[in-house]
Parts: sequence; structure tokens; C-alpha cells
Amino acid sequence: MMVADVIFYLFATVTVLSALGVVGARNPVHSVLFLVLAFFSTAGLFVLMGAEFLAAILVMVYMGAVAILFLFVVMMLDVDFSMLRRESVRYLPMGFVVGAVMLAELGLMMAHHPGEGLHLGLDNTDNTLAIGQALYTRFLYPFEVASLILLVALIGAVALTHRERKRVHRQDISTQLARTKEDAVELRKVASGEGA
Amino acid sequence: MAVEQLDIHLVLMMPEILVAIMAMALLLLSAWTHKGGAGVIHWLTMMTIVAVVLVIQVGSGTATTFGGQFITDDFSRYVKVVMCLGMVLPVLMSADYIRGHGMDGGEYHVVTMFAMLGGMIMASSGGFLILYLGLELMSLSLYVLAAWRRDDRCSSEAGLKYFVLGSVASGLLLYGISMVYGVTGGTGFAEVASFLGKPEGHGSQLLALGVVMILAGMGFKIAAVPFHMWAPDVYQGAPTPVTAFMSVVPKVAAIAALFRILFDVFPTYHVQWVPILQLFAVLSMAVGAFGGLVQTNIKRLLAYSSIGHVGYMLIGLVANSQAGAQGVLVYITIYLFMTVGVFGLIIAFDRQGLGENISDYQGLARKQPVMAFVMAMFMFSMAGIPPLAGFIGKFSIFMAAVKGGFIPLAVVGVLFSAVGAFYYIRVVKVMYFDQPEGEFKVTLSGGGFIVVSLSLFMIFFWGILPGDLLAWTGASVQAFH
Amino acid sequence: MAEILNMVHELGEGLFGPLLWSLVWVVIKVVLLLAPVLFMVTYITLAERKVIGAMQVRPGPNRVGFFGVLQPLADAVKLIFKETILPEKADKSLFLLAPLLTLVPALLSWAVVPFSPELILADVNVGILYILAISSLGAYGIIISGWASNSRYAFLGSMRSVAQMVSYEVSMGFTLIPVILITGSLSLVDVVEQQKDWWNIIPLAPMFFIYFISVVAETNRSPFDLPEAEPELVAGFFTEYSAMSSGLFFMGEYANIVLVSFLGALVFLGGWLPPLSILDFIPGIIWLGLKAGFLMFVFLWIRATFPRYRYDQLMRLGWKVFLPVSLFWIFLTGLVLQLTRGIGGE
Repeated sequence: MMVADVIFYLFATVTVLSALGVVGARNPVHSVLFLVLAFFSTAGLFVLMGAEFLAAILVMVYMGAVAILFLFVVMMLDVDFSMLRRESVRYLPMGFVVGAVMLAELGLMMAHHPGEGLHLGLDNTDNTLAIGQALYTRFLYPFEVASLILLVALIGAVALTHRERKRVHRQDISTQLARTKEDAVELRKVASGEGA
Repeated sequence: MAVEQLDIHLVLMMPEILVAIMAMALLLLSAWTHKGGAGVIHWLTMMTIVAVVLVIQVGSGTATTFGGQFITDDFSRYVKVVMCLGMVLPVLMSADYIRGHGMDGGEYHVVTMFAMLGGMIMASSGGFLILYLGLELMSLSLYVLAAWRRDDRCSSEAGLKYFVLGSVASGLLLYGISMVYGVTGGTGFAEVASFLGKPEGHGSQLLALGVVMILAGMGFKIAAVPFHMWAPDVYQGAPTPVTAFMSVVPKVAAIAALFRILFDVFPTYHVQWVPILQLFAVLSMAVGAFGGLVQTNIKRLLAYSSIGHVGYMLIGLVANSQAGAQGVLVYITIYLFMTVGVFGLIIAFDRQGLGENISDYQGLARKQPVMAFVMAMFMFSMAGIPPLAGFIGKFSIFMAAVKGGFIPLAVVGVLFSAVGAFYYIRVVKVMYFDQPEGEFKVTLSGGGFIVVSLSLFMIFFWGILPGDLLAWTGASVQAFH
Repeated sequence: MAEILNMVHELGEGLFGPLLWSLVWVVIKVVLLLAPVLFMVTYITLAERKVIGAMQVRPGPNRVGFFGVLQPLADAVKLIFKETILPEKADKSLFLLAPLLTLVPALLSWAVVPFSPELILADVNVGILYILAISSLGAYGIIISGWASNSRYAFLGSMRSVAQMVSYEVSMGFTLIPVILITGSLSLVDVVEQQKDWWNIIPLAPMFFIYFISVVAETNRSPFDLPEAEPELVAGFFTEYSAMSSGLFFMGEYANIVLVSFLGALVFLGGWLPPLSILDFIPGIIWLGLKAGFLMFVFLWIRATFPRYRYDQLMRLGWKVFLPVSLFWIFLTGLVLQLTRGIGGE
């Protein structure tokens, strides 16, 4: 029990500190990397709670894909972040207000369930199996609708940004394969000394 | 681990399944035919919607599936038919608009179908989870559609604005839902309602806050004041067929969802939500009436007009009675035909490169009296002048409000509709009394002609003989209370 | 075997006390696991030079030690004693962190790789997911190295490399899903045990080939070594690295090769199971070594044989060929399982 506690506090501390780092880092790339660290230690907390599936998905989806895209964007976009930062100071009071309201509401919700800890029911079951069974039975309908949402996002992204570039030569494998020797090569007998 | 036994009856969901499958099939078709298949996809889209309407008609009675997450009843069927009309009429009238503005990848129709599907899911939703997912499906499709003319700066701006503000609204809604879940421990409408029926379900502050958040989120989707700021810009910037679509279908869907939330889940909390909706209604009517006065762009004008109409519809919800619910359905059905008709005419003007500015309509009556007459009829109907159908809509709403004891609200509503009538009549004045500028001849496309004449017929027919409409809507709201 | 283990445990508990011993035991296990892995990583470099040398009809390294066996050690000594140059405008801390971020995930994955039913550090029930999750972190080392170097070549190389890794990770993950479907478990031990009758390569042959090609791309190996592309980008994302810091990148790359070869052997080639049951007398770990060794050999063989791909061809192959094919195969596997086993499995 004690070892688990130590590990919990370790991960929890890293999570909170790196979350602070996300907000506080001067360089946006460092911010994203702190975010990644926060994800990772949250995944560790998930494992401690016995939710190893969630942990693996968090690492795979958020660290392996989403945060990488964040990094891409932050590294490639030409945004003046110091400017942005100066602007954001103006919104700081508003941010504190929103944060305080949310905290108060969370407290209200906690007060509503005094002493009743969150029971995850993940103790000894194989939670990958449990999640799979819930998703494909009780929540099949929402699951499928969610997949349609992703499809629309995909269509939208392509439809709004994809352009046929006229000047680029595209490789068309089927035309390449359809080419025969007859189309491409012409054999001629040229008598020696008479060729142009 | 035992697999839970579930009641899955896909037959009940046939309309939704049909839309989803056809949308995906058309997506593949458009991917493989490039632009060549656009015409085919156009017609297939409309045939699909007609088929969906027929399939909807087959169903009867009230049934649920997926553990109550999907509800089909007379109400949802009625609302879905309205949404199908709200989808198919803009598609029918805009074939050449789409071609003319380079929007003719088949994906346009696919995304439109997904938007409608999201609306249908909302109308049939039996829980907050699926309600939210339906809403996101619809909203996401609409964001994309608003920006569809991507080389047009206004359109891109509209899409971006709609997206950013819409995301905030979704966040509010989700936050509200999470509070409801936190208090009641469930997301299904039936679960939440049964918790609220118990003694400990009364008087929770947090729950009241959740209800407010949910109302705010939904209020955004129907562009009710004070969540209306996006509407004028988005209506103006979005391609006109999209504007026509989004001034009807999302409103119908969100209002249908509000019906379920307010009447099925939170009837005991009406002390909280009635005043809020009352406020929304009055503000919307006010902004709709006064905001429209100074507009020079007809799409912006219609945006304010739609804000005003939403205000009237909310009165029906405030009335908190079957008569009010019926009034809302009557109103929204008539609103559909008026709106679609006007947009049909705007698209016809667009064929000449005109039609966004109200001044483009100067002297229309001299050159094309029939066209001007049709436009004037739609405008009178929107203003609520008898014997046109718009009057019936307003009348049934105000009657419900009076019956429910909301007499001041009804009086305010009548006053604002008088103010609002001014700008509708201004358009008529421009057409009839101003001197024409320049030479143009506006013609309707084949589909446009069908849509406009159908709309015109409906607003006269229901204006004079509203019996059928009242009977249908009356039957549809039997489920409530 | 079990008796010896018990003796060790008793001895350890006597020495350290039960709590500390459990920690020490973990450390011992990790060391016992990592030593052979690092040995393999070191010697695959020699194998590479020897194999490619043989294919190009030249002897390869043969001066240091008999047959060149001490060559890797000589290389290591050289790398360690050279100076690590820090570029002036680099982001120093990230610059030094990046090579570690490449190597560490490659080593972390070994925690769930079984060498036999008992010989495994942690038989967690999400083994495959764990490996996929950890291997998706490998991209960070590369993207950070490219950015922290503050050099155009390095940045371009890392962009290419990460796009490539992210793309091929998708198809690599999808090729493993049919295996998971057939096994009904995410534990690698279960995956191997289930292949008693048929190795997975028999029903899932296309998936095996897609897996292998994807991991070649995933490890940035020839013919998909565009991130390095020495004619255009000097050396890609590690252009600015020198001495041991670049050595760590190489170790990460080779550790990944060894890892994915073992994973391929376990998942598709029956792991420690012998090909015929009469060959049972040979220990399983030797079979596993042979199979993984063969896959590593193919890595080298490919490098000596194929010309480099063009970048658009690489992306086309990943997204337009592998992705649909593996998705279709998942569908097909599910369908066949549904028809043969019925709803809900056994």
C-alpha cells in the first residue's frame, strides 16, 4: 500500500507541476512538451487506479497523435507568441473568475456526494473487456453516432482545404502499370553509318 | 462477465439508418466520380429524403430502443418530416446555385444529409448523451457548410465564427449536462426524470444551474437572444442554400430537443426555466424587431427576422402546455415554408448576380409584377398579416400564452410583431414604390419554381384552411403532459 | 529452476528485508532483461556491416578481434571518448534530452515482451496496447531533436520522419488488431499460446507483410530512410549530433529493430513454438531467437537490395494501400470469427 501511495504522489506532483509548466513556459514548444508530460503522468495515475486501458489509449491517442500535431502546428506556424502572451495578460482576471466559478461548482458537486467515493468497479476485471462490452452493447448507438461525427470532421477538413494542384505531376500507378512495351518503345533498325 | 441483454430494434431507427447509409454511399460515389457525378448525387439525395419521409410514415405509436436512448413517437415523426422538408426544399431550389458557385462536389449534399441526420437524432434522443452527440453531428456539419465557399472571405469568416462560438455553446451544454449527471447519477431522460420524481430530487441548486447551462447551450443553437450574436454574420456569409437550410433544420431539431428536456425531464423545475425562457423570448423578439430595421442586406434582415421568430416560438414553450407545444409546431412548420420561399427568390436573384442588397429589389413590381407579388406575400406572411399562414402561427402561439396566463407576454409579443412588420413592409415598399435601377430579368430555375410556388400555395392554404395542420400538430403533441 | 528461484528469494529477503528485496528483485530482473537486449543492439551493428559486406562481395570489418567481433566495442569506445558538440543556438536541455527520448521507449517496451511463458518481466493483460502506446512515443525524440538543433536540415528531417512514423504507426497498429481478434486477449503470452495449431502468419499472411513493411518504415530504415536522406538532408534529424549523443540515436534505432523483430516473431511466427511438434526438444527460446534473427536479417537484406522510396510514394503506400487493406482484413477477420464462433466468442 505504501509503495502505491508514494507512486501516486510522485505522479500527481509531476502532473500538477507540468500543468503549471504548460501555462508558465515562455516557449510554446516547451508548453506543449509539458502538456505531454502531464498526459504521461496522468496515464500513470490511471494505471494506479487499475484503468490500464484508459492509460494506454491516453498515451497512444493524446501523446502519440494529438500532441504531436500540436507540436507540428506550434513549430511550423509563424505566430508571435510574445505578442499573444502580452494580450493574454489582459484576460487574466477573467480567467481567474471563470476558474473560481468552476472550482466553486466542483465543490458544490462534491458537497452533494459527501464521503461517497467514486467507485470505478475496475478492481479485478479486465477493463479492456469491460469497456468493449459496454461500448458495443449499451452504448452502441452513441458510439456509432460518434463515429459519424468523426467522419463529418474528416470530410469537412478535406473539403475545405484540399486543392487540386495543377502544376504538380501526380503519379498514377494504374496508368504506369497499364503502359505496355508497344506504347513506350519503338524498335528501329538503323543501318550503320546512315543514322542521323 | 455476463453480456447485458439489450432491446435493440433497428426497425424503429430505419429513417436514421437510411440517411446514414445513403450519405456514406453518396460520399463514395462522389469520391469515385469526381465532379461528374454531382448531378446524379443531387437527385439521389432528394430521392433519399423522399424515401425517408415515406419510411417515417410507416411507423406508428410510441416505442423506445437501445435502453431508452432512442425514442420514436408521433412528435418525433412529425418533427422529422418537417426537417426532411427543410432539407429537401433548399436542395431542390439550389441545383444551379451550387453549380454556379463551385460547390458541386457531391460532398456538399453528403454533409447536408449528415446535418439533417444529427437533427433527427436530437429529435429522437432519449438521453443527454445521445442528444449531445446528435447536436455535435449537426453543428459540425453546419460549421463546414457555412464555410463551404472557401474562396469567399465572408463564407470562411462565417464558418470560423460559427465554429468558435458554437464550440463555446457546446461546452456550456456539456457542462450543464455534467452537473445534471453529477446530481442525478444518470444521463438518460427517464433516469433523470425518475430521480427528480423522488423527494431528494427537489430543490437542488446545482441542478438548477445545470438547467440554466443546458438552456444557454440550446439557446445558442436556435439563436435566441442573448446567444444570437453569431446569427447575422453567419446568415450573411454562408452560401444562400446553406442559410436557408440552417434557418430551419437546426432550429426545429433544437426546439424538439427542448420539448423533451423541458416537458419530459424537468417539468418539476418549471419555476426555474419558465422565467429564463420568458426572458429569452422577450429579448429575442425585441432584437429581432429592432435589429432588422437598419439592415441593408436581405440575408442579415432574415437573420434578425429568424431571431424574432424564435422569440415567438419560445412563447409557446413558456406557456408550458399542450396548446403551447402545438403552437410551436404550427409556427415552425409555417416558418419553414415562408423562409424557404424567400430564400428561393433570393437564389433566383443570385442567378443575375443580384439579390444580397435590399436595394437590388427596387422597382421590381414594375418590371416583374408576379415576382414582386410573391415576395410581398412572403413578407406579409412573415409579418403575420391575415389571411396568410404566418398569422395562424402567431395566433396559435399567443392564444396558448393567454390560456396559460402569460397575458403580458402575449401583449409584448403582439407589440413587437407590429414593430417587426415595419421592416417586412419596407421590403415591399422598395419593390413597389422605388424607381428601378438597371436592367435585369429574374427567372426561377425549375426546382426553384416548384419550391417557391409550393411555399406560396402552403402559406395561402394554411392561412385560410389551417384545420389539417392543427389536427396533425395536435396529434403530435399528445405525448406531452 | 523453481528451486533455484526460491533459494535466491530467501537469500535476498534475508539480506535486504522483504520490502526492499521486492524492489531489488525488480532491478535485478530489469538488468537481466536489458543486458541481452543491449548485447543484441550492439551486435546487430556488426551483423549489418558483415551481411551487407557479404552481399556486396567484400569482407566487412575484420581487423578488430577475430572476424571483427570486437568492432562494436571499438566503436563504442570511440563514440564515448569523442566530444559532444553543442550547437551555439540549440535549445541545450532539449537537445540533450532528445537522444534519450529515442532510446528509452525502445527499451521500455521490452517489459512486456515474453521470451517463454515464464520468462517475462510483466505479463500485463494489455501487452500489445502497451507496446503500441510506448512505441508511439518514439516520435518525440526525433521531433524534439530536429527542433532543438535549430538547423534546417535537422528540422526538415524530423518533420519527414515524424510524419512517416505517425502514418505507419496506424497501419502497424491495424495489422495487430486481427491478431487480437483471433486471440481474444491483449497479452502477448496468450497471443503465442493461441498459435499452437496455426501460426498467425497462415491465416493473416497479408497482415504479416504489411506489418513488416510498416515497421521498416516506422524504424526509418532503408528503403524508407528518407528522414536521413544523406544526399539532401546530410543526415536528417541528427545532423547536428556528434559522439555519443548521435550514438544514442543509433542505439535507439537498432533497439527498435530488435524489438519489432521479436514482436513480429511472437505475434505472427508462433513465438517460442516449434514449427513441428517433433522439434519440441529444442528449447523455445532458441526458436524465438531464430525467428527474430531471421526477421532482423531481412531488415539488413532489404537495405542492401532496394533503392530509396520517394516521399509521396511512401505516403501513398501507407495511406492508400496499407490502411484500406488492413482495415478490410480486420473486417474480414471479424466476419470469419463471427461466422465460425458465433456472437460473444467461445
